[in-house]
Amino acid sequence: MPNASDLATPTPTAPATGRPDDSAGERFDRRLGLAKAGLGVVAIVLALMVPWLAPDAFILSVAVVIASYAAFAVGWNFVGGFTGYISLGHASYSGLGGYAVALLTTHTGINPWVALVLGAVVVALLAVPIGIASLRVRGASFVIVSIALVLILLLVFQSWASVTGGSEGLRVPRPFDSSVLRPEQHTRFYFLFLVLIGIALLVWWLIDRSQFGAGLKAIREDEDKAEALGVPTFRYKLVVFVISAFFTSLAGGLYALWFGNLDPVFQFSILTGSYMVLMSLFGGIRSLVGPVVGAVVVGYAMEVFKAQYGDSQFHLVALGLLLAVVVLFMPEGVVPALLGLVHRLRPAATSIREESAAELLERNRAIDAERRANNEASTEREAVDDPRHATTGKGRS
Amino acid sequence: MTALITQAVILGILLGGLYALLAAGLTLYFGVMRVVMIAHSAFLILAAYLAWAFNRATGIDPLFSLVATVPLFFLLGVVMQRFLLSRLKPATLTMMSVLLTFAIALIIEGMLGFVWTGTQRRISLSYSTASLEVFGANIAVVKLVAFGLAAVSLLALYLLMKATSFGQALRATIQHKEAAALLGIDTEKVAGYGFGLGLATAAIGGTALALDSTIYPSLHWHWIGPLMAIIVVGGLGSIPGAAIAALVLGLSQSLLQIPLGTTWAQTVFYLALFITLMVRPQGFFGGRLAQRF
Amino acid sequence: MSVQQDVRPSLQTEGLSKAFGGVQAVNGATVTFHEGKVNALIGPNGSGKSTFFNIVTGMIAPDSGTVRFRGQDITRRAPHRICAAGIGRSFQLCRTFPRMTVLENLLVAVRPAGLSQLVGSSQNRRQVERARELLRRVGIDHLEGSLAQDISYGQQKLLELAGVLMGEPGTILLDEPAGGVNPALIGRIGTLVKELNAEGRTFIIVEHNMDMVMSLSDHIVVFDRGAPIAEGTPSEVQQDPRVLEAYLGV
Repeated sequence: MPNASDLATPTPTAPATGRPDDSAGERFDRRLGLAKAGLGVVAIVLALMVPWLAPDAFILSVAVVIASYAAFAVGWNFVGGFTGYISLGHASYSGLGGYAVALLTTHTGINPWVALVLGAVVVALLAVPIGIASLRVRGASFVIVSIALVLILLLVFQSWASVTGGSEGLRVPRPFDSSVLRPEQHTRFYFLFLVLIGIALLVWWLIDRSQFGAGLKAIREDEDKAEALGVPTFRYKLVVFVISAFFTSLAGGLYALWFGNLDPVFQFSILTGSYMVLMSLFGGIRSLVGPVVGAVVVGYAMEVFKAQYGDSQFHLVALGLLLAVVVLFMPEGVVPALLGLVHRLRPAATSIREESAAELLERNRAIDAERRANNEASTEREAVDDPRHATTGKGRS
Repeated sequence: MTALITQAVILGILLGGLYALLAAGLTLYFGVMRVVMIAHSAFLILAAYLAWAFNRATGIDPLFSLVATVPLFFLLGVVMQRFLLSRLKPATLTMMSVLLTFAIALIIEGMLGFVWTGTQRRISLSYSTASLEVFGANIAVVKLVAFGLAAVSLLALYLLMKATSFGQALRATIQHKEAAALLGIDTEKVAGYGFGLGLATAAIGGTALALDSTIYPSLHWHWIGPLMAIIVVGGLGSIPGAAIAALVLGLSQSLLQIPLGTTWAQTVFYLALFITLMVRPQGFFGGRLAQRF
Repeated sequence: MSVQQDVRPSLQTEGLSKAFGGVQAVNGATVTFHEGKVNALIGPNGSGKSTFFNIVTGMIAPDSGTVRFRGQDITRRAPHRICAAGIGRSFQLCRTFPRMTVLENLLVAVRPAGLSQLVGSSQNRRQVERARELLRRVGIDHLEGSLAQDISYGQQKLLELAGVLMGEPGTILLDEPAGGVNPALIGRIGTLVKELNAEGRTFIIVEHNMDMVMSLSDHIVVFDRGAPIAEGTPSEVQQDPRVLEAYLGV
């Protein structure tokens, strides 16, 4: 459904607060809440059971890859979802996270898990100057820097072979000793990714309900306006950007520990960054679970596609087409679209499904009028309910 | 040593000319639509492939492919603006257009690989190996032809913008869309043509590129980074700014290749991008457009 | 009638200039607005009023000149810092956050200090109460759960005003509060401005609706070609030949 919210015609005010007699609607809301909770529990239980449901080690490794996609997408969505700033270059942070872990463990010999966190902290610190450069002005520069950063890192990491191993690749020491067999490795990393996703989602949720989150969402909706209302936009964007780099880097580091080998071409790939965008966008960047849903659906589809057709040029075409379709036809993502569909089934709405838009408008007017009649300040309310886009009178300067 | 430097300077200017033409195209898109057109360099490579395929099929000089590719790309640009980009919501246009044009770049790259495989391609012409001696430096003739093509096109673009009424409408639309609309300019139409012009620069640039470069489908990623750095340094939306930045950076790249080698010399673009955003985020030659972007 | 000797300056500009390309939008404007009064800024289309507003609130950097607020230099400060200094503003074409609810639109303007903004809930009960109070005051409290994009234009105007009030500014800049709204609502907005002014808030209003300007304001500044050409009380301004000339384009 193309841009339902984009219609220029006035959307009749849905009685969102619910009329007192609307018990059917309220019952529906309660059931919907229960259904959502139920669905969430089922999804979590299923996710936890994957290692036992997977028939072989290969399928299990695919599950780890999809879990890593989800972790990347959630990390990306801190900046993409809250501020609406689309980064195409988040592979920079996942790649840097991977190399940080590898270099720290090989050169200092510290515990790989300590190196994982330490590496992410270092990447987060690096993100500060990058954020300062790219976030002072609006979106266009941000996107340009995000792409440029991946390209420059690719260049540097390929050329600086003495440290990074260049195109020969860099081996990452295994965190579990060799007595742990391959499938067991997969299982352990799978759960590690789940833990990381869980923590990231928790932080996302905390921000979402905070004053900081309200400011960020205001930036996404209208940055000038947010600034005028006193939101320190630059600082807010920078903080959430660094948080995003931190989580993306953690996911990249974990992936490096699992995969065991790093090649700049794959670590600093524009495609890796675009997966994060596609998955988050597909699921819905404004919702908590959107990126995870997107990662599971798109990630699964891509793995199947690769298995069927190989890693061919067709893969690029498919990826491009899917991205274009999502951008053009469902920029809000599937999770919000599905929720919208469900909400349309709400009893209050079902009874009027046959009505035309004009009738609907008429009905809402009647409801409004009734409400006004019950209100003492009726004359004042009337003044408020003028039709949208009333004549604008004189021109404006 | 001096010969080496002279050679680097001349090559830098020649390269800068091509950068300038392509950056002018990117600036046009940004000016008329506030769109960062990631697919610009993908279209560049597409045009290069078309020139190569034309030459391979007919044996005629690839320059003649321009007769078909320039109008074709112009039309493609108009169609793209009208049917794809103008469908996006104004509020999220900048971000969503990036994704859409990114998607288009992926599709083009994939199709190129599908049709002509990932093999590296190169046009061989009778004058491919010929070179001229300029101030003691050896300059390949194809590079001069490519530069000539870029310079002539830039000049034509400049005249179009300055001397025609369409150019005036285009400039007005770039500077202030709402004000232009109030003056009776059909800004949507102008935006479409502006887009077409931008894509036409990719057609010309691609043909010029095909003359002296080895091409392969993923080559566009090597171009988009420097080009985007150029338009930011030049100040988003300013065509003269983009041209100056292109020449300066092309020259720097060429000179830095002497001590640093090809790979590291490329980082000059990214360094310039970073420094510009730190010191003067509106770009060094930019007008007011750049301030809020 | 304002008594001239008790005038205290609220917002002052000196030699403020800004050019776009070849157009001098604001041209050496030196203006003083009066504390505790309803000030109006009027002028023909394209006289630079909106640019002036945008410079004063930090949205656009001036080419030259200074902006002072209660004696403090605020030139080129970031918009949120100007807001923190006590200046709130509305936008010419009313702007709200379309995909946030009416209540959330107000809660954006709350500014808790330090770390509590990172972890504390935005739905802080005291703030929610205050937001509801303001919504009641402008008369749209029944819509608190609706998305801003779903309410009417007039309601959005009131929502915007409530959002500005949420930041408790001492001085409020309104850019065409009567633009695009019906006469009944214009009256309502006028009443609100008067009430809020009586509570001690200073207003600076850009407006085309002359009835509203003349009935509301204590002090009027007339702009033409980017600079003030006249100022005074409504009756003084109405009789000024330069004003008539600017408006009639003689």
